[in-house]
Amino acid sequence: MARAGWRGEAWTGVRDAASTVVPSVVAYGAVWGGLARQTGLSLGEVVAMCLLVSAGTAQFVALPMLAAGAPAWLLVVTTYIVNLRHYLMAASLAPHFATLSRWRLALLAHGLSDEAYALSLARFARHPARPAYFAGCAGALYLAFYAGAAAGAVLGSRIPDPRRFGLDFVFPAVFIAILAPSLRARWQWGVAAAAAVIALAVAWRIGGTWHIAVAGLAASALGVWLAPSPGGRA
Amino acid sequence: MRSGLVLTFAAMGVATYLTRAPLLFALARRRLPPWLARYFAALPIALITALALPLVILADGRPVPPWDPQIPAAVLVALLARRTGNLLLSVAAGVVLVAGVRAFLS
Repeated sequence: MARAGWRGEAWTGVRDAASTVVPSVVAYGAVWGGLARQTGLSLGEVVAMCLLVSAGTAQFVALPMLAAGAPAWLLVVTTYIVNLRHYLMAASLAPHFATLSRWRLALLAHGLSDEAYALSLARFARHPARPAYFAGCAGALYLAFYAGAAAGAVLGSRIPDPRRFGLDFVFPAVFIAILAPSLRARWQWGVAAAAAVIALAVAWRIGGTWHIAVAGLAASALGVWLAPSPGGRA
Repeated sequence: MRSGLVLTFAAMGVATYLTRAPLLFALARRRLPPWLARYFAALPIALITALALPLVILADGRPVPPWDPQIPAAVLVALLARRTGNLLLSVAAGVVLVAGVRAFLS
């Protein structure tokens, strides 16, 4: 019975991801695959990079660096920095995964992405937190990026620009659709407003992905003073 | 396949995993002190706000041009999501608005 429950919940994750972000992830995977071929990666190297790195943003950032002949250590350090935001997402998901065995936790850690994180939090806010849901989202997102990348690597420069179809807007739209209904108490609005100001300032002045980690880290500090203690009144 | 490149990719994968796994392991089975629990209660709101807003308001590091429908579409998504609670419907409405206005302008 536990197994059936796991499977059902995982399918719900697959379905929720498929009906929202998967089409955009396929499109951006295809753009990435096309760019990777233009950078001079062979088909095998495209597949190797997807399987080994498994982090879309970092893979996009790496391509111009590869084209410019950047040294390996710089690629590795840049990947680490681009992914720093995952520390915070892992920390905030961790309490929901308390029941998992170590090896399952090790496997699920691999599936962490912005989209899987956001979809799972939205689900866990209204339903019992089940790691299987996260696993379903993460698996669907991985397959979507791989499939897109493979298609893009084969089709090359014939990939149309996803912006034409508004597919770039799916990512912020999903985040906003998850965030908007969850803002109820005044402290939540305060945290969101602080995060918005910090994220925009950092994104504008510094660029890259710094704004996510910096705003997450800094704006959450407001919660320490303003949020009620969990278990207390909401 | 160039083996040096594949080794680099593997090292990039390790670097990525090092950002994903450690805190998941460290915090999964631990009771947090109340102040840290409040911090983590605020973290999702801060992170998702930080993920979303720059994507709407900045394009490639610059404010989106005034004719781009992203900001009104984001407002529409937020209102629909609050009113209906339907993720798919809210996102689809926003995307249709963005794609429609862009198609009209191009």
